[in-house]
Amino acid sequence: MSPRTDPTTDDSAALGPAEMLALAANADRGLRRASEAQVPVHYFVWGGAWLVGYTLLWSAWEGTTSPIVVPMWLAAPVFAALLVGAAAVSAIVGARSTRGIRGGSSVVGIVYGLSWPILGFPAAALGGALTRMTGDPDVGALYYPSVFALIVAALYLAGFMMWRSVDQLVIAIVLAATAGITPWFGAPLNLLAVALIAGIALIAGGVVAVVRNRRRG
Amino acid sequence: MTDLDPVIHAAARLRITATLAALDSDERIAFPRLQELLSMTAGNLSTHLQKLEDAGYVVIDKTFQGRTPATYLALTPRGRLAYDEYTTTLRALIGGA
Repeated sequence: MSPRTDPTTDDSAALGPAEMLALAANADRGLRRASEAQVPVHYFVWGGAWLVGYTLLWSAWEGTTSPIVVPMWLAAPVFAALLVGAAAVSAIVGARSTRGIRGGSSVVGIVYGLSWPILGFPAAALGGALTRMTGDPDVGALYYPSVFALIVAALYLAGFMMWRSVDQLVIAIVLAATAGITPWFGAPLNLLAVALIAGIALIAGGVVAVVRNRRRG
Repeated sequence: MTDLDPVIHAAARLRITATLAALDSDERIAFPRLQELLSMTAGNLSTHLQKLEDAGYVVIDKTFQGRTPATYLALTPRGRLAYDEYTTTLRALIGGA
């Protein structure tokens, strides 16, 4: 069998079937590679923000057992800045991964991206109302970390269903468990627990994603 | 005996076709993004896309984003089938070698 080649082009005559198949596989992976490259960025950014941010809040909260007490006037804005920064990085990285593509999964990606603020803002508003009605800041300390861990868990479950990403499934389970268990530690210890469990789980997810991406090449 | 499709059997066009085949059937990709993914010059990419379009394998959609012209590309069902048959033939060739 002798493959016919296009005489007006190019380099294919020199390549055997195995090389051509490898070329096709590599090109096929180009788009997927661009999409997969963003995954560890999300994990690291959010894992870092939660680990540092919640640890700071715990060490600033009234009644903390932290050996180093950070003033709340410093911890709260740093925590807010970390979350806003993580959201901005996620939005930019997510948008870049689907740039230049229309229709299909890009629509799914846009809706998935919008799901975070769609769920996040009402959850924040509910927390505000609860704190205001009870007049107890510890209610907020218990509510906010758990509700946001639950939202992330729910959206990672959706991510697993859409992209069959096992690391998202594992992290979703860890975060859902974190959301349910850590309030029982009481405030402010729950903040440290969320920082350590959820933050480290997300960073571990990032490491797994990096290793997986490198193996796939 | 099955010959390899000469339209696809050129390294550049195979890479273009494989990249487009990675899109979902209802997705299109902008010319600059495809160019970036394949590291090809605009002229070279255009030449090969023209051949693929002439064969009915690729649809080239020229549109506007605001006042800026934009070109979006996708495999046609015929192109997707041709690519599947091409890779199947390659695998058969390797398996029979």
